Parts: sequence; structure tokens; C-alpha cells
Amino acid sequence: MSDRETDASAVLDTLKDSLNHIGMHASAEQIMAAGRARRRRRLAGTAAAVVAGAAVVTGVTLGLIPPTGPATTNAAGGVHIRTVAYTVDSQNDGTVRVTWDKRRYFEDHQGLQGALRAAGFPVLIKVGEFCRGPRDAGTLSPSGVGPGVEKVMKGQRGSDANVTFVFSPAAMPDGKQLFIGYLSPAQLTAVGGNPGSVERLVPTGEPLTCTTEPPPAHLRSPGGPPKN
Amino acid sequence: MRRSKRVPDVKQREFAEFYRSDQAACLRAVLVSVGDRQLAEDLVAEAFTRAWTSWHKVACHPAPRAWIVRTALNARVSWWRRQRREVAWDGTHEVEALAAGDTGLDPALLAALRRLPRRQREVIACRVFLDLDTGGTARVLGIAAGTVTAHLSRAVASLRAHLVNAEDLEARP
Repeated sequence: MSDRETDASAVLDTLKDSLNHIGMHASAEQIMAAGRARRRRRLAGTAAAVVAGAAVVTGVTLGLIPPTGPATTNAAGGVHIRTVAYTVDSQNDGTVRVTWDKRRYFEDHQGLQGALRAAGFPVLIKVGEFCRGPRDAGTLSPSGVGPGVEKVMKGQRGSDANVTFVFSPAAMPDGKQLFIGYLSPAQLTAVGGNPGSVERLVPTGEPLTCTTEPPPAHLRSPGGPPKN
Repeated sequence: MRRSKRVPDVKQREFAEFYRSDQAACLRAVLVSVGDRQLAEDLVAEAFTRAWTSWHKVACHPAPRAWIVRTALNARVSWWRRQRREVAWDGTHEVEALAAGDTGLDPALLAALRRLPRRQREVIACRVFLDLDTGGTARVLGIAAGTVTAHLSRAVASLRAHLVNAEDLEARP
């Protein structure tokens, strides 16, 4: 081996050694769970689209929802979706009752987004990204909630890991939607698990500014009250 | 009935074994390519998730580790394109400087890697961390074998200069 080859080998060995301690934080089981959730999400997305289509057709046929009217639904055109990760149920008062499993929610956020939209609640859900509108100063409470969110979303924690939320489509200001940004596992680790998500009202039909920078860590006692 | 239960178990065991034995090498290869620990972890997790959902194909792949790294790097391109279409970014998604405490990495070495052109980093990733030979690296990256050799040579020269400079600085009073 020439001196040059030896030298090159030494450089690459140094590089290799410097990364010897690097490894994934996620376990194989978490990866497989994410894959299974993805399959369910695809199925749920299809189901949500079918349900939404059926709800709109039913509403229009019965004269309950004008063709260009708001996406609020009532019992006749309600949405009722159940998956392992979440449930979405339209209520008679026009609100939408949602439960989701804190362990699974971020694996199936697109399915949840589709289900909420199908139920008439405008929402944008992302994981690891945090968006705001062009005129939003970016103000958040320590638990990651922006101004006005409490009017459209209220939550209560159950006895187990499930959280129940009531969404109010009628309370959503015109031209707005709820943005929910779940922290990715790496971001959750960085903030010590709190907050677990960011909620803001953001405009529809306008470009949003997004960042992968998570909100500041919020120290609170385990099992404390849920947001709102 | 017993057979239908056994097959998924075997599949899970195979994938779990593959993940445990190869995740670190794949992460290091992607980390060298993208220069960002958190992004690398997200991309590798995405690639392994795709591998799991298509395990019947990936398990038969001649170089599954290379498949993971290629998929992770492709996911990065797709991810950036999608973000460009959907939202106006404030630029903070491309982390410019990571503190050593955040990653456990030598920040100077990380900076030296980031200064290399993308192809040179990818060649290093394949040759050093996936233990691919020149031909295998060329196939994974879709370039000529001679180009692989040239990229590796230039990358080594740049890194050597960095290491020598770093040693010189440490030797000074």
C-alpha cells in the first residue's frame, strides 16, 4: 500500500471513529408501529373520503346543507369514524367530539386531519413543523397554544392515556383554520415532553411560515390538565 | 391458521434483526450526507418505515443497507420539494450550526463535512459507512466508477487539510 493510500485510509478511519457512538434513538418496534399506522392511515383516509362524500350527498339531498354553504354537519349528515388511534363523532349541537390515543396520535395525524375535515372542522396537522400566518406575531402560551384556540377547541383528559377534545366549527373565524403541530420524537426529547404540540389559528389560502424549531420546554407536573 | 400467524412473526423478527444490526451504519452514512443529526434520524426512520411496509421486497434486495440510505436521501429531496410547494419557509429548517452538546459530534469535523460538495459526502457515506466498493458505490449513486474514485480522492484531500489545520491549531501555545 502506498503512503498516499495509507494516508487516505487514516483520514477515513479518523472520520469513521468519530461517529462510532452514533445510533438511532427509535427502536425497531417503534419503526414497525409507525409502518402499521401508515397502512391504517391510508385505509382511514380512504374511509374518511367516502364518509365525507356520503355526508355531503346526504346533506344536499335532504336540503340540510346548501351546496356552497358551511361545512357544519348535523346528526343526519354527521361523521362518525373510529380507528385504533382516534375517534371522530359529530354531535347534534354542531360540535365535533374527538378522542385520540396519546401514544398513537402522531403516527396517524393525516388520518385524523382527514377525519376532522370530513366532519366540517378546518384543520391543518403536521409533525415536527410549526406554522403561523404572515400576520401572526407567534405568541404562544407556555403549553404551546396560540390566541383564540380556546374558542374552537376544548379538551379534557380521561382516566387513561386518551384525551377528549370538542371542536367547534361554528366558532372558527372566517378564513381561518386550526393548525396543530405535533413535536417529533426527537423534538419531544429536546423539550422534555412538554409541550407535546402547538396549536394556532392560521389563515386559509395564504402561504404559512413554518419552522422545525420546537417551542420552549414547559415544565409542569405529570398528569396536569390538558390544553384548554 | 397457525401458518398465517407464524409468517408475520418471522417477518417481524427478520426486520427487527436488520434494524438492530444496520441502523447505526445507515444513520452515520446519512448523517455524513446531510450534516444534521436530527434530520438524519428523521430521514433514516422514514426509510426504515418504508422498508418495513415493503419488507417483502427490501428483504430480497442485494444491498438493503444501501436501499435504506438511498431511500433516506431521496426522502430528503422529496421533503424539500414538497415544503417549497406548500409553504414559505423561514430558513430555519436547515440547521446551520449544531452545538457539540446537541449531537455528541465534533463541530469542527461536522463543519468540514458540510463544506464538502454533496456528491463527495455521499461517496464517503457509501465507501466508509456502508463498506461498499467503488462499483457498488457507483451503482447506488448512479455515477461512473471513475467519478467515485475522483470524488473520494478530493474529499479525502479536503478532510486531510482540515485535520492537519486542526492539529496545527492545537499544537500552538
